[in-house]
Amino acid sequence: MDDNENEFSPEQSLRLISSMIETTKNSLKDSSHYFLLWGWAVMIACIGQYYLKVIVNYPNHYIVWWITPFVLLVHVFFIVRDRKKEKVRTFINEAGSYLWTAIGLSFFATSFVFGKIGWEHCYPFYIILYGIGTYVSGSLIKFKPLIIGGIICFPLTIITAYLGFDYQIIMLALAILVSYIIPGYLLRTKYKKQQVNV
Amino acid sequence: MFKDLDPILHSQLRLAVISLLISVKEAEFTFIREKTNSTAGNLSVQINKLKDAGYIEVLKQFKDNYPQTICKVTPAGIKAFELYVKNLQSYLTIKK
Repeated sequence: MDDNENEFSPEQSLRLISSMIETTKNSLKDSSHYFLLWGWAVMIACIGQYYLKVIVNYPNHYIVWWITPFVLLVHVFFIVRDRKKEKVRTFINEAGSYLWTAIGLSFFATSFVFGKIGWEHCYPFYIILYGIGTYVSGSLIKFKPLIIGGIICFPLTIITAYLGFDYQIIMLALAILVSYIIPGYLLRTKYKKQQVNV
Repeated sequence: MFKDLDPILHSQLRLAVISLLISVKEAEFTFIREKTNSTAGNLSVQINKLKDAGYIEVLKQFKDNYPQTICKVTPAGIKAFELYVKNLQSYLTIKK
């Protein structure tokens, strides 16, 4: 781009402004790996817990959730790696990181609550937290699969509250599938298409 | 008659830079260069002009032992950009 001030008409100015704003609007950050990391971790934990509790009647079926600290470490590794590559900070990215920090802190704080009142009550609350996170995140980046996945979590929360614990595990797996795993893959596909078109 | 357009902003590359920065929180020099398709030398000169006008803030730092230049629009830059767009609009309305 040259700096030819004399040949620059007001019409060209407006076109330039809108094309530059469009450029930043389209620079969607690929955050699919976070959704897929947590999505598959929760899915594997749900399948593991269902197997241990329902199929083999193992009393310490909760041990599968010890996967969480390891996933958290991978998550931190992703954050550090992504920060290094980050060339631009948008307000949307910033709002998204505040949102997920709040959701992460909610999981942390509620773990103390469920430690006190009993873990058998936790799944409807976790499903609603998935719903809030993905609905707001999807709305921020205007990505329908995340919005729809998030919205589905709300009725799933209500249904889960009325089910026995064994079925609640299946509902949690279903919630993570519709709110994290499916939108995660679709987000990755969209990002790859965007990279090809740039 | 339309109001004079701000000469600092009424230049292709400087306007491209400020239009990019207006829609983000902050951006690296390399990102701006990539998006505006400009040369490092020219971009550097234009960024300095915007900085001298008080329209952008330029932060030089090191990231993993490499120098990094981060640009951010200032409140004065936002105001100037808004006025520039308003003047452009009034000019185009008169022209119609």
